Amino acid sequence: MNPEEWVEAYGDALYRYALSRHVDPMSAQDLVQETFLAALKNQDRFSGKSSPQTWLIGILRNKMLDRIRKEIRLQSSADMDQTLSVVENEIFDASGRWRTGPQAWETDPHVVLERKEFREVLAKCLGSLPVSLRTAFMLREMDGLDAQEICKQLDISATNLWVMLHRARLRLRNCLGVNWFERKGEA
Amino acid sequence: MRSCKDVSFLLSRSLDRPLPWTTRLSLRMHLMMCSFCRVARRQTLAMREILNVYGGTAVAGETEDQPGLPDEVRERIKDHVREAVKEQPDC
Repeated sequence: MNPEEWVEAYGDALYRYALSRHVDPMSAQDLVQETFLAALKNQDRFSGKSSPQTWLIGILRNKMLDRIRKEIRLQSSADMDQTLSVVENEIFDASGRWRTGPQAWETDPHVVLERKEFREVLAKCLGSLPVSLRTAFMLREMDGLDAQEICKQLDISATNLWVMLHRARLRLRNCLGVNWFERKGEA
Repeated sequence: MRSCKDVSFLLSRSLDRPLPWTTRLSLRMHLMMCSFCRVARRQTLAMREILNVYGGTAVAGETEDQPGLPDEVRERIKDHVREAVKEQPDC
């Protein structure tokens, strides 16, 4: 396949990948272009062990991380601590017990994802996470990278990663509960 | 006994790295006695499943949430790729 055919075959998937990771459309377009140019330059490195799309998404992901790594480092831990304590204090009392117990989500995850309104809520909830938490969480849960790889990519310690992932899960669970699962008649 | 707040953190951590057996044991004991934490555990696992499926469908364009590349952008990228191919000494 020649490089122009790559654009035809994989351009949409790369663009959708970037948008689904909360990159704005203009930046996503630039990143897709940079990805194809980098792939062209390094095409001898493509071993064929993975699909071309997986290889190209790996390049795109690295380019996205290059752009936000600095932002993640700059995000002060003080801000993050404050954000967490607000959420945790809403959920747990001073002795660490649930203030209001979580309500069971009766919906099958596969069924609920078929609903556009739910996907919009999910995207909004993901978008509300601070960029550092969102990035770590998406790399783990949407890309399926292991913890060691994420620590390497984001240049953070394993301990920091556990805390970041916990915070992201706590906030997302709260957001999905309030905006979807616990809203009467929605789930 | 561990607090629900601690258990919430450990439940999250267990998704990313196996916990020591002593911690697993204390977690299991807490879960046996705490229905709220059992619900929280099911929700955490459901979120993992949701995100996993969502990540795949978004890229595959199985939903219409994420549009494909606009035509003019696709052509622009092809132009750049064409130029880059020309500049490559071995091509």
